[in-house]
Amino acid sequence: MGLIKKVPVYAERIPGGSLVLTTLETVLHQGQAKSLWYLLFGTACCAIELMCTGASRYDFDRLGMIFRASPRQADLIIAAGTITKKMAPRLRRLYDQMAEPRYVIAMGGCTIKGGPFYYDSYAVEKGIDHIVPVDIYIPGCPPRPESLLEGCIHLQEKIKKQKLLDWQEK
Amino acid sequence: MTPDELKDAVAGKLGDKMSLLDTGRMVPMFEISAANLLTVAESLRDDAALKFDYFCNLGAVDKTERFEAVYSVASIVHKHRLDFKVILDHDHPEIDSVQEIWPAANWYEREMWELFGINIRNHHNLTRFLLPDDWDQGNPMRRDWDAPDFEKLPEL
Repeated sequence: MGLIKKVPVYAERIPGGSLVLTTLETVLHQGQAKSLWYLLFGTACCAIELMCTGASRYDFDRLGMIFRASPRQADLIIAAGTITKKMAPRLRRLYDQMAEPRYVIAMGGCTIKGGPFYYDSYAVEKGIDHIVPVDIYIPGCPPRPESLLEGCIHLQEKIKKQKLLDWQEK
Repeated sequence: MTPDELKDAVAGKLGDKMSLLDTGRMVPMFEISAANLLTVAESLRDDAALKFDYFCNLGAVDKTERFEAVYSVASIVHKHRLDFKVILDHDHPEIDSVQEIWPAANWYEREMWELFGINIRNHHNLTRFLLPDDWDQGNPMRRDWDAPDFEKLPEL
């Protein structure tokens, strides 16, 4: 039973048997957590860190995260950069176009609370949680790729812990 | 033309309408009255020795008691540039459009109208393009502007 040694978390051995038993929930959420395709949504300098994370040095792909250019194919928005009031309805529209279950990571100070544009700015939205529900906040200005990776791992943990019908209630 | 030669040339041709300001900058800065804007702009563009055929920039400054519209123009042919400013009344700021002379001024004038509330006369397409579509909070680049979610930087 080599398979069971490889996947001890979510498979149980039946004594003397050759079957692997698990739940639909576990398999589904494992699959979701390890194939989080994210929407390309870089609006400012955080996008540079996002690109760096996606490149070979940090290798986002090893978490199963591949960028998609269409919201129809994406599971996750990484809001990387300042969201202005002009951009806010566009972000909401992209979020609405994504198929459920969908997740949002707020990357950097601007998306959390306006960041360096909190004061003396007429144009910047003070936090994207006014616009879309946020799952993970990653502080930093901009956050290093390590922070982004850790944020994504936390999101994967969150997905693995959720119940099958959780996202329908959102 | 060097800046000094340019100052002399402008003084010789448009000395009655443009007055040189002492800014200490390399690029000469002139002041003109709003009534003369169109004739001065046309002369700057069409004069063979000046030939300002390139419109670099247009900005507005809110000086609390007045507005200043600052134009930057350059000559590709003669490789020189100059700035000039127009003083505007703060209560009813209004200025002629120069887009017939320099078409590039179109969007700068729209921006000035949108962010400062300076009315542009004879502009072909004075519509909003920078602020959000449902914006109803006035002209945010004015110094006395305020809005419910606008946070002033606290005194440190």
